[in-house]
Order: sequence, then structure tokens, then C-alpha cells
Amino acid sequence: MSEANGHPLTDAERMVVGAARELKDGEICFVGVGVPSLAAMLAKRTHAPELVLIYESGAIATNPPSPPLSTGSPTVIEDCAMIGSCLDVFATLQSGRFDLGLLSAAQIDRYGNLNSTVIGDYRQPKLRLVGSGGAHDIACLAREVMVIMPHDPRRFVERVDFLTSPGLRSDANGIDPGAVRGHGPRCVVTSRARFDFEAGELTLNAVFEGFSADDAVEGFNWSLPRRGWVETLPPFEAAAVAIMRAEIRDPIAARQ
Amino acid sequence: MVSKQVDLPEAVAEHVRDGDVVFVGGFGQCIPFAAGHELIRQGRKDLTLCRSGADILFDQLIEAGCASKVIFGYLGNPGIGISHAFNRAVREDAIAYEDWTNFAMVLRLHAGALGIPFIPAAILRTGDMPGASIEVAEVVCPYTGERLSAIPALNPDVALVHAQRADEEGNVQMWGLPGDTVDGANASRKVIVTVEEIVDAVVLRADPNRTILPSYRVTALAHVPWGAHPSYVQGYYTRDDDLYFAYDKLSRSPEELAAFLDDWVHGVPDREAYLKKLGGQAKRRLTGQSGPVASVSYGFEARDV
Repeated sequence: MSEANGHPLTDAERMVVGAARELKDGEICFVGVGVPSLAAMLAKRTHAPELVLIYESGAIATNPPSPPLSTGSPTVIEDCAMIGSCLDVFATLQSGRFDLGLLSAAQIDRYGNLNSTVIGDYRQPKLRLVGSGGAHDIACLAREVMVIMPHDPRRFVERVDFLTSPGLRSDANGIDPGAVRGHGPRCVVTSRARFDFEAGELTLNAVFEGFSADDAVEGFNWSLPRRGWVETLPPFEAAAVAIMRAEIRDPIAARQ
Repeated sequence: MVSKQVDLPEAVAEHVRDGDVVFVGGFGQCIPFAAGHELIRQGRKDLTLCRSGADILFDQLIEAGCASKVIFGYLGNPGIGISHAFNRAVREDAIAYEDWTNFAMVLRLHAGALGIPFIPAAILRTGDMPGASIEVAEVVCPYTGERLSAIPALNPDVALVHAQRADEEGNVQMWGLPGDTVDGANASRKVIVTVEEIVDAVVLRADPNRTILPSYRVTALAHVPWGAHPSYVQGYYTRDDDLYFAYDKLSRSPEELAAFLDDWVHGVPDREAYLKKLGGQAKRRLTGQSGPVASVSYGFEARDV
């Protein structure tokens, strides 16, 4: 199991550090709150200082001193280059100028489709969730998307209950040409592994140190394809873990 | 100079009718809780609430029975969880709703503000949202042949806006995150504004880039300090995250939420009483010490009017 300073990483921490190192220096990222925001903040403080962080609330080229609880929270604009309107940010997204959108969701399916609308039937749901927010827009319009999800078999499903944000194809025939402008999800990071897409389908690509390929898909309700050789990713850097623990504490976890 | 200034209860009584479509301003900051609570106290019914990302004020208006429909991109307790009152209302089939996206809602209001019937956009061309609770027509670009979604304009009856300051005439200044507030206000037929401070026109006219609404767009103006609590107002007070976390717990129970509304809405006649109840300690906890950082020169002296 990955360790730093003697403390094993929690599931949540592995997601943050694992996702952070997928971000490339200089990318312009449209960041959702929660783990995506924590990962982007960590990447900017470690290997990707030129990463550009944009939040849908209008915080542009920002560098929050501590993780914002929500996209419109006060810290999101502390140390930012520009405050714009929601329209400014979404207009820039639609014109294809954001390299990457970082998303999470309640459910993801085998084609990378995301659900943040309902659990169960749309009209008679088991649980009514918050809705798209900017997620559908990011999924359609960012050049690429990265999805960050906890390893949870309830969240990885063969077919999402409701398709809020499109992945690579909505069924075996694929989505209509021209239905989205971006390239869709390039990878999915969980607390155990990294997945990518082969022929539009979620595929196990690599595991974090201490996890097997079987661990990575444990409990999933469909037979998820694997790359011919599933690599084990290098251990997390102790320096990155230390920075995360010192500066990027999850505002929800911090209260528990 | 004609003053737009009235009491908030008077503004709401005069300008919000049962059945109105109401745009609720603010994104993270400047959420018009005082005006929303006044809607609850005055017992408005059958309102349709709309905006892009909706905060817990929607939850309270739903639980209080003011809203029969919501039109939104996001509806929850931001960063924390779902809107429990909306969840209950949906499960009990007690509310109508339209699930859009945040960009779509911004465009709906922007089209409304532009005075045009729709805006083409490259979203909502796939997925389960079109046809679920919204209909999205397709439009073919007459120049390029590109197929796009025709996002319909939305023109609310009335907008509720909270901002830092205004002059008595009703010119309004806001800084920090504007969200979709300006488009939402400009799309609306009437605009009710609450502000932290009423300032002399000379103050406002010294920095006119900060102005988001000119007085001729403002129907009524009310001076309501702390009118956006528990959200925040840039430069005045910070977000009361403790309350948002507490609200997530209490609003899971209809009984506890009713008690909360009895306490903090029905149990206080106005925002002044709400503030007394909130207490000096909470106010100090949410108020920072930092002052202005820098000012800009416009190359002229501001004049009073």
C-alpha cells in the first residue's frame, strides 16, 4: 500500500494524487468542485505550475489558497487573474478554448456517460440529485474530459440511470456525429486505478501500487475490458502527498 | 432625482404576484435571502423560480410552499449535497420542474436580455435531458448548415437581486462573482434590488465600471444590510458555511425544516430582527478586516447629482 510519512493514503487521497498527476502542465482546465478541484489545485502546486484553473462561477486563471467548498465560494477568487460572468466562462468553453474539463458524478457507465440527475426513474426517483450544473456543457464542449470517481460498484454501472453528460457513445451505434464538439473522456481515475477508453468503451489501463487488476473492477456489474498489459503505476511522490495534506484538505472531510 | 428606495416588504407586496416567474440572483455570493424570506412571510404561491445554479434559498421556498415550479441547471446545497425539499417534492410529484444545464440557463436569460427568442448552442444535442422535462428544438445554421440546439429565451416577471451598494436613484454596483445576475435581471420585466449600503451618487459615479444595473432597469430598491446571509457579499461578510452544513442535516426532516423556517423566517418580522437573532458573535465571525486594495483613475472628478 502506498505510504507517505508513515501514514497510508486513504481512498480519497489516492483519488486526488492519482488524478493530479494526469494533468499536464499548461493545460487550461475547467474545474468542478470536490475531488476534481482538489486534484487540479495539487497539480498546480506540484508538477504543473502553469496549469490554468477556471471555475464556472467566473473565477478565471485562479489559484485558491484553500479548497473552495463550492464553485462560488469566497476562496475561489482569491488570487485569480480575472472574474468574469458565467456567460464569459461558458462562451470560452463553447469556443473550444479549454483543454480539459474535470468532472465527477453519481454514476458512470461503460461508455463514460455520467449521471448527476436522478437515481432510479426520472419521474419517480429513489433520489433526486442536483442536476447537470455545468457538467453536460463541459462533457459536450471541453476538448477532453477527465472523470474522477471513488471506487464504488454502485457508481460504476453498465448503463447510467439517467444520461446527464455524454461520454464516448450512448449506445452500441455511437452518438450522432456533431452531437458533441469535444473528444470526450480521455481517462477515469478512481481510488484504485486508471481507466481509459478503447473503441469507446471504459477499459482498465493501470492500477495504483498495492491493487490488482481484479481489485480495480471489484464489484462492477459488467465485464469491463482490460488492456493486454495492465501496468502498476509508480508510487505516489511523498512530496505531493505532503503538500496535499498540508494545503489541500477536503473541506467536507475536514468537518468530519 | 427620483428615489427608488422603499421598504423590502413594500417592494415585494407591490411587485411580486402569485404565479409570477421569479429570477433569483446571486451565484455563491449575493443570494437574495432577505427578499426570498419576505416572499415566504407574505405567503406567495405558485411561483416559478429560475436561475442557473440554485442555492438553498430554492429549497426553503419549495418547503414553504411558495414554488410550484423550478427551472434550473443545478439545484442543491453547493459543495455539500442535494436539495432535500426538492427531492421530497419530486418523489411526491408535488412540483413541476425543468432540468436544463447551467450554460443553457445562462443562454436562456441572455436571449431574454437580448430581446430575441432563442440562441443557438452546441449543447443538449444528446443525452437524456432533451425530452425528459424540456423540449429542445434543433436549428440549422443558415450560413454553415451546422445543426445546433435552439435554446429558448426566458423572460421572468421579476428578478430579485442583492448587491453591495446602490445610490438612492437605483443605480446598482456589484463586485466579486456576478454569476448570471446581470443577464437574469436584464431578462426580467421588473427588478427588485436589495443592497448592503445606500451611497451618495458621487461615490457610485466615481467608479461606474462597477455598476451592473442603471436605475431605469430597477423597479424598487431596498436597503437591507446582511440581506444575503448565509451566502456572502464580497467585501462585506463571508459565507456562513456552518449554516450550510447545519442546513444539510436539518432539512432532511420536514419537521426540522419547518421549525427552522418558523424560527428564522416566520418568527422574525424583517431582516433587522433576523440580524438581532443571528447575534453579534456570528456577525463578527463572518466579517473580515481587510480594506480596499487599490483604486483606479478615470481621469476626472466624480460629481454628485
